[in-house]
Amino acid sequence: MKTDTVRLALSSRRTFLGGMGAAGVLALGALPPLFLARAAEQNKTNRDGKILVLLQLAGGNDGLNTVIPHANAEYYRQRPSLAVGKGAVLKLNDELGLHPQLAGIKSLHDDGMLSIIQGVGYPNPNRSHFRSMDIWHSARPDEEITRDGWMGRAMDAASEQLAGRVPALALGTDRLPLALVANRVTVPTVKSLKDYQLSEGKGNAKDQQRRRKLIAELAQTPAKGTSDLDFLRRTAVTAIQTADKIAATTANYKPAKPYPQTGLGQRLQTLTQLITADIGPQVYFVSLDGFDTHSDQAGAHNALLGELGGAVQAFFADLKAHGLAERVLLATFSEFGRRVKENGSLGTDHGAASQIFLVSAGLKATIHGKHPDMHDLDEGDLKHHTDFRQVYATLLEQWLGWPSQPALLGKFAQLKLS
Amino acid sequence: MSVEKPSGSLAPVDWQQRKWSRADAKHLLWRTQFGASAEQIARTHTDGSAKSLERLFSLQPESTAFVAADELLRRAAMDTDSPASLKAWWLHRLFHSANPLPEKMALFWHNHFATSIAKVRSASAMAAQNDLCRREALGSFRRLLHGMTQDGAMLVWLDGNANRRRHANENFAREIMELFALGEGHYSEKDIKEAARAFTGWHVREGQFWFNRDQHDFGIKTVFGKMGDFDGSAVVDLCLAQKACPRFLATKLLRAFVLPQPAEAIVAAVAARVRAHDFAMGEVLRELLASELFHSDEARGALIKSPIELALGALRALEGQPNLRAVHAVTTLLGQDIFQPPTVKGWEGGRLWITSASLLQRANFAATLTGSNQLGAINAPEISARKTDTTPAQIVAHYTDLLLARPPAPETRQRLESYAAASTGETAERIRGLLHLIMAMPEFQLM
Repeated sequence: MKTDTVRLALSSRRTFLGGMGAAGVLALGALPPLFLARAAEQNKTNRDGKILVLLQLAGGNDGLNTVIPHANAEYYRQRPSLAVGKGAVLKLNDELGLHPQLAGIKSLHDDGMLSIIQGVGYPNPNRSHFRSMDIWHSARPDEEITRDGWMGRAMDAASEQLAGRVPALALGTDRLPLALVANRVTVPTVKSLKDYQLSEGKGNAKDQQRRRKLIAELAQTPAKGTSDLDFLRRTAVTAIQTADKIAATTANYKPAKPYPQTGLGQRLQTLTQLITADIGPQVYFVSLDGFDTHSDQAGAHNALLGELGGAVQAFFADLKAHGLAERVLLATFSEFGRRVKENGSLGTDHGAASQIFLVSAGLKATIHGKHPDMHDLDEGDLKHHTDFRQVYATLLEQWLGWPSQPALLGKFAQLKLS
Repeated sequence: MSVEKPSGSLAPVDWQQRKWSRADAKHLLWRTQFGASAEQIARTHTDGSAKSLERLFSLQPESTAFVAADELLRRAAMDTDSPASLKAWWLHRLFHSANPLPEKMALFWHNHFATSIAKVRSASAMAAQNDLCRREALGSFRRLLHGMTQDGAMLVWLDGNANRRRHANENFAREIMELFALGEGHYSEKDIKEAARAFTGWHVREGQFWFNRDQHDFGIKTVFGKMGDFDGSAVVDLCLAQKACPRFLATKLLRAFVLPQPAEAIVAAVAARVRAHDFAMGEVLRELLASELFHSDEARGALIKSPIELALGALRALEGQPNLRAVHAVTTLLGQDIFQPPTVKGWEGGRLWITSASLLQRANFAATLTGSNQLGAINAPEISARKTDTTPAQIVAHYTDLLLARPPAPETRQRLESYAAASTGETAERIRGLLHLIMAMPEFQLM
């Protein structure tokens, strides 16, 4: 009976995992001893390795009002109400400039830490938030059902190198981002450090301790059930181990300078705390939401870009003070840019190609590629010239030193990072 | 209208052939209400399948106490226009109503038409939309979809007023197709653009739908290859006529009530039932709950509980009286803030409820529930009244049977028994400790 269950689960693995953000099939019937051995080994850290921070701008950031072609008449013609005046743009060169709220990013540029990759997208762009975000996360534009993420597959392929470390961590998100969903490793999601602890409940101290220990043991006790039960048990084990580790890290972290009192500012401060505590992950995921600016865009977009610029600037100032600015690379992405022509409600609708920011002191700062042609549009949207998977391949191979083909299921031409 | 009976795995279980067990009763109750007490399980077991389904699907009279509290809570929410009060009002209904299934389906539709008070900013508009979800909870999806396109809260949520003649805003039309009726991939970008024109001038004024004639585009549109001077209603009908629509609903219904990953053939079969019943969703659900599929071993304990199912379910099983504000806080922490879904896609549910952080919080919820009265007093007298000569094995058997969808693995049972045997102090305290452990287990997350 039991072997039948296992075989069934294997043969229909695709169905079990499809669309559910599954963390995989490491254990089907019981947790294999290997997993426990690895778990025991998890004191390993990532003391000198590179760290990648993925910063998601959710909702579809208006790239055209982020990196602005201030010398382009067509930009001003298509955006009569929303265009940023030439005088207000923070100029990077004769053609391009940053939105005035991005003073923080501009200062990183002036310090030689900012690269911009222009015109990033993918063929046949999808304008649904959810689908397009899925595509960016899964890096599989042609698969309708996406069951794992590009970084998840990369971690699976690098799992030998990772040697039982917690490979990645999502911070402040409500769910594990699809990008980090893997089949062989389980990635923790930490909403806030304060809440990431296992409470002991009431009663006498001895019973409390026994329960604390038993909660961890019961999660690992073999049980027969659905693949969802295995998923729950694996997640519980990762959760408890990571909580122990976070609790054990000394609280001697202090930010070099105060971070802005914004959501992203606070998340990036926590992230620095985790990085300095050296608990292991090489990949961190954070998100800034609210970029879906269909109407009255200016106010909301100003605030979001201000939050972005201020937080990222403080983050790198702090990393620098801790001697980490060369080890950490932050990369932004969004599911799409927005339509070139503004709509009738002082906003913009879903578009296509946009840009990616890369920030690090360990990079050669440059602008990759040209601004997309403002006259050669695809259904009113900017056309991409750089596939986002090229950027992923570059980050995996040149920054993390992980093979990109298993992650991207194909070979993509890379950009030159340094 | 005569409708052919379902067949195959959707055929009703023949209870002459198979014995209606306590486990069957528990399974039915956890899926159709928020948890089940020992008494409710016993009654449903005695009643049998047919009588229990009849009770769930017919309107039960509410108690006077319920009606009084319901009116008071609703009025408080309206008078203060406070989201917290509105949420308390619904949580009270979800837990205390004598009609749990319509409430559960109203929550299903709230998730389907996910609208957030964070943007709508009106308790009365949100309550009106909630009334619509409840009115059609087990009714007609056809009426529900039409109603939603003219719902005040929905029109604010999806920028109805921004959709004007010559300045079409696609938000509303896109979500109707992608999230409410068809699912991604079953329409073209052109369909969206044209449908958006049909909804121009569908505005909201003083919280009510208002057809703004001056801003409506009366021209000819082409949607799904059909041409006409369509308005919004016509587009809704065109969506309902699409093949993808019943399939979309069938998948969602199966995932919420039966199985997380239903096979293609099952989805197709349920979609055929949706069409056969002309979108009378209560009829479809009733057939599903009576089916071989629903009572199959595969479906038992196959669903991951939502935070509300987890919290209210635990309180129900342990005969607690929920503190509504505290329950709201904990379900929000676990990722389900009613009246405030994270996006227009709603809560996707299933494995997406679970992260390592939320799983820790679920275990901590068990600690709080058993260790304090913060979330509502659980029935401690019942626990301490249990005979002191009851063996640890009997206590473990009683509570694992009450709380878990499937019997625990032998090794798990043994560990729980040795914990129960070695724990010290008052019987009630020892049992609370055991309950904490059981509810912190991965198994308790399933129903």
